[in-house]
Amino acid sequence: MLNKITGHQVDRRLLLKGAAAGGLGIAGATMLAGCASAASGPMSFGARTVDESPTKQLEALVAAYTAKSGNEVTYNATESNAFQNNLSQYLQGTPDDCFQWMAGYRMQFFADQGLLEDVSDVWDDIGNQYSESYKIASTGLDGKQYFVPQSWYPWGMHFRKSMMTEIGMNPEDLYNWDDFMGALAELKGQGLIGLAAANKGGWEAQGTFDILNARLNGYQFHVDLLGGREKWTDDRVKEVFKHWEMLLPYQNNNVLDLEWDGAMQLLLQKQSGFFMMGSWFGGNFLEQSQEDYDDLMIIPFPEINPDHARDTVDAPLDGFCVASNGGNSGVGKEFIKFAGDMEGVQAMLDTGVPMTSANSGQDQSGYDAFQVAQQAVMDEAKYITQFLDRDTRPDFAGPIVGPAFQSWFKDPSSTNDILESMQSQWDALAPL
Amino acid sequence: MTSSTTLDPAPKKALQAKRRRSFSKRDRLTLGFFIGIPTFLHVALVWFPAAATIYLSFTYWTGIHIADIQWAGLANYENIFFNTPIFWDALRVNVIWLIWFGVIATPLGILLAYQIDREIRGSKFYQAAYYLPVVLSLAVIGIIWNFLLRPDGLVNGLLGLEISEAVSFFGDDRYNIWVILTMASWRHIGYIMLLYLAGLKAVDASLREAASIDGSTEWQTFRKVVFPTMKPVNVIVIVITIIESLRAFDLIYIIYGSSGGLPILGVLVFQNIAGEGASMKGAAYAVILFLLSIVPIIAYLRAQFKEDMK
Repeated sequence: MLNKITGHQVDRRLLLKGAAAGGLGIAGATMLAGCASAASGPMSFGARTVDESPTKQLEALVAAYTAKSGNEVTYNATESNAFQNNLSQYLQGTPDDCFQWMAGYRMQFFADQGLLEDVSDVWDDIGNQYSESYKIASTGLDGKQYFVPQSWYPWGMHFRKSMMTEIGMNPEDLYNWDDFMGALAELKGQGLIGLAAANKGGWEAQGTFDILNARLNGYQFHVDLLGGREKWTDDRVKEVFKHWEMLLPYQNNNVLDLEWDGAMQLLLQKQSGFFMMGSWFGGNFLEQSQEDYDDLMIIPFPEINPDHARDTVDAPLDGFCVASNGGNSGVGKEFIKFAGDMEGVQAMLDTGVPMTSANSGQDQSGYDAFQVAQQAVMDEAKYITQFLDRDTRPDFAGPIVGPAFQSWFKDPSSTNDILESMQSQWDALAPL
Repeated sequence: MTSSTTLDPAPKKALQAKRRRSFSKRDRLTLGFFIGIPTFLHVALVWFPAAATIYLSFTYWTGIHIADIQWAGLANYENIFFNTPIFWDALRVNVIWLIWFGVIATPLGILLAYQIDREIRGSKFYQAAYYLPVVLSLAVIGIIWNFLLRPDGLVNGLLGLEISEAVSFFGDDRYNIWVILTMASWRHIGYIMLLYLAGLKAVDASLREAASIDGSTEWQTFRKVVFPTMKPVNVIVIVITIIESLRAFDLIYIIYGSSGGLPILGVLVFQNIAGEGASMKGAAYAVILFLLSIVPIIAYLRAQFKEDMK
């Protein structure tokens, strides 16, 4: 199957080349043009979610595309963890033509394996609707684009406005670490959890590590550490865990029994003051009620080292890719172009599900207060990182970092052993 | 020597030919069909992947392009044994699992079978109650118990505990393994009970009668008369106990995902071989797990058959 399809593609390319070389340039050009606009036939779309809000958005996108192009789109939804676990098998088999995925290392890895379709020509058409940094995040190791962004969200400290008003705390005033520790102590004094935390899934706490490391040691060190150019046994990494340990007394003590949604419940039920998470969970608050959503607010993680101020933020970029082995990648590319174009973005926005689109055409005057605050968190940052499990090797993030952080929560005094073990496991990774 | 070897094959061949001739064409076709297809399927679906896994455990590979396979020698094994603390944690959990099943769950299943076999009052009811969980897959059992025991689950709700104060049934190392083992035993006991019950029904009642006439106590009858006559069933029960404890996966996966919240070998295999994090470290884990399961079983069966030969 795989060979058949790639072979078929080669044939088509050869054909076009032959046509051009044979002095039939004009005919070739019209053929190309014909291909581009008349790509037709049914295609399938793979959604990496089964949650209510994003599904509503994606179905609206698919419906808008079908209405415009007349091409039938089959919508296949998979739960996000299962989708992630099966991705390499999925892409080697008979994947959906266009599917939801993430920017950064995770995309580059599969692009490098030849499993994603080059969408540089889509970027030629709609690239002017995106900032340069999004184009970079969509680019593979070979300099071509393989990804079209859908939306972004910052990681930060989320809280409920009404709750803070009741307590008489103004989170906007919490600028640095001391301010923040003071606030946590005050919350604890009131019998509340300062910071809701979860790590049963193994990834939740990675966001806290990212931001502590970036705040203490700066963007460059963080990126170098995840790229293997710095060592986990470095004293600067130990410093991160020392600061993390200071947070533990203010966290719920069943971190390893909660997944992200459990910790979110703590914020939702006003049992905890702050929740460090990506803003995407705002959609879950909205599913509860408009009132809960309107109550939600975000501030950047506090400054720790004045040298780095609050200059870095984890802001993962979600979006779409076209699979090379899909049955109809021509239509897949047309779909991805529609999804990235303001027209498709508008279809998703029209559902009323809050979304901070990566498309610069989104009318920011329509942002609600929470979205404005998300934008402010972004604007304060000079450097954007994706997230630990998107910025480092997948065979390191999942099987090694996840369990290592979990065992740290079980015994925070074992930091040195854990870091040594992480470094030796990094060193033993398969050569790339 | 020469004479004997030259003489021997001829009658043998004749014999073989005779035997072959005794199958009609249709017989041969049928036999070929019924033996050939299962053999082919078995080799293709079991032996080939098993051999490939063993080979791949000595390589580096992301699992995508065949051409990218690189010979790694023992690197994956060295990595597991010397660099990966979670391997030892997982091995510990699997060993505890095996001991628990061997010492508590399986004997309990046998005891229940014995009691029910004596047809105490309401034995049909007990039989159904104990057997019920066996109908469910471990994955479903995981879902049921997860509903009960998770922080916002039924038990913590009945205890009136908020999520933040909830008893950490799955997160706290002090008791999570025992919680999991209780869940797994719930099914395992019923399974063993059923197997044993079937065996007990086949034990000749006159044997017990004879034993009791000779003045043997209940325990003596079981140990010296019933248990030995149940030997084939005992072998199956022991093999099943070993396999079930080492291959444990579904229950843990439902509750913890592949995150390693309670590390066991089955999950380590999966975590390192599926998904983005795929590397042939997963294959090496699979080989280790395979050896751990097969070695004690072979050793046990050999000992058993040797005894039988005597």
